[in-house]
Amino acid sequence: MRHPEACTQCGVCVSVCPVEKVGGHALVTFLADPEATDYSAWLCTSCRRCEESCPEGVPIYALIMEQRRQEQPPPGYEAAIEAVLACGESLEVSQEELDQMRERWGLERVELPPPDLLKELLDK
Amino acid sequence: MKSELAFYPGCLVLQRMPEYEAATRAVLRRIGIELHIVQQPVCCGSPVIESFSAEWLYPAAYNLARVEEMGLDTVVTVCGGCANTLTRAARALQDAGVRAEVNRRLEPLGLSSSGGVMVKHLVRLLVEREDELRAQTVRPLFTRIALTNPCQAFRPGEVMGYEESMQPQDVRRLVELTGAEVVTYGGEDECCGATLYLADRDLSLAAGRRKLEAVAKEGADLLLHGCGNCQLLLRRFQRLIVHDDEHLRIQALLLPQLIGLAMDIPEAELGLREGVLE
Repeated sequence: MRHPEACTQCGVCVSVCPVEKVGGHALVTFLADPEATDYSAWLCTSCRRCEESCPEGVPIYALIMEQRRQEQPPPGYEAAIEAVLACGESLEVSQEELDQMRERWGLERVELPPPDLLKELLDK
Repeated sequence: MKSELAFYPGCLVLQRMPEYEAATRAVLRRIGIELHIVQQPVCCGSPVIESFSAEWLYPAAYNLARVEEMGLDTVVTVCGGCANTLTRAARALQDAGVRAEVNRRLEPLGLSSSGGVMVKHLVRLLVEREDELRAQTVRPLFTRIALTNPCQAFRPGEVMGYEESMQPQDVRRLVELTGAEVVTYGGEDECCGATLYLADRDLSLAAGRRKLEAVAKEGADLLLHGCGNCQLLLRRFQRLIVHDDEHLRIQALLLPQLIGLAMDIPEAELGLREGVLE
């Protein structure tokens, strides 16, 4: 990806990133060092600490999501994407299973959306 | 005064954690709030839809339009991801041009958005009702708690409505309300690992382990989660992290479960086993 012009590579984003803290290298690694290759746009918790701290106002979260959309997702994400396109939820569940679970907990019934609804909403 | 609010379940509640919804409802009912679930909800968008489609706003706006259809103006969610995406959508819908565009796609479904729905994460709602909560906490909890802040509920501060968005104190305030002592362990804002699970399982579990180790070191009685994603990784998946290291086996509760205990709501109603704090 292209390094954003507004970024001065100050590294504040790396210092506040909870993923970097646990030893992962998120997209902020690339912002601080455009030569870096060992980082992943998929390692992000959507906490937006990077963006909130950026002195230049770089829209880091949007950059992360744009980058993801250009890449092949890791298997875990791929499965969730398949599920969401198939039924509108990121984990597949049948109406019957859901009804039983909610009845067991005394919770009001929830009707699942029609399977194609999400595709319609995304104009796919 | 009785309030009627909509409740957006998200995949966390709908498919994995009915106890989170049950505990939330039990606590809110005590302070006069009745929740009505959003019917035919679709994925909020975080992080799955947003990761493959730039059109994430449409499904988010659809969920908000369902709230309007119910004749309600506020929707509550207990997941940080849902709160964040839906709040950003509600903000985007303030723009008349965006709204018109979204409504063109909602129209065939018989829905529309006026941009009038407010989104609240449970933490925000509870802090707003702090006085009513305090009046209901009849059973002070003498326990030492390590808390985790939800990472997606506060930022961007300007959108989510938090001035102290980098050091939010809301969860701490709510825990202290129960009489419990908050133990500082340094990991309050560290990653629980849950959101990393889809991308890198090993890193996810390593993050969880780091947290459990920090909590165990400070000798806290239990871990308290302000977001169900943390609970999912650190309680449901705890065995994947702990293995034979018994000292890392730590009880973990969800915020409404803890508050519910302080209100003397029976454990079963909160999805807990009897005598969970003993």
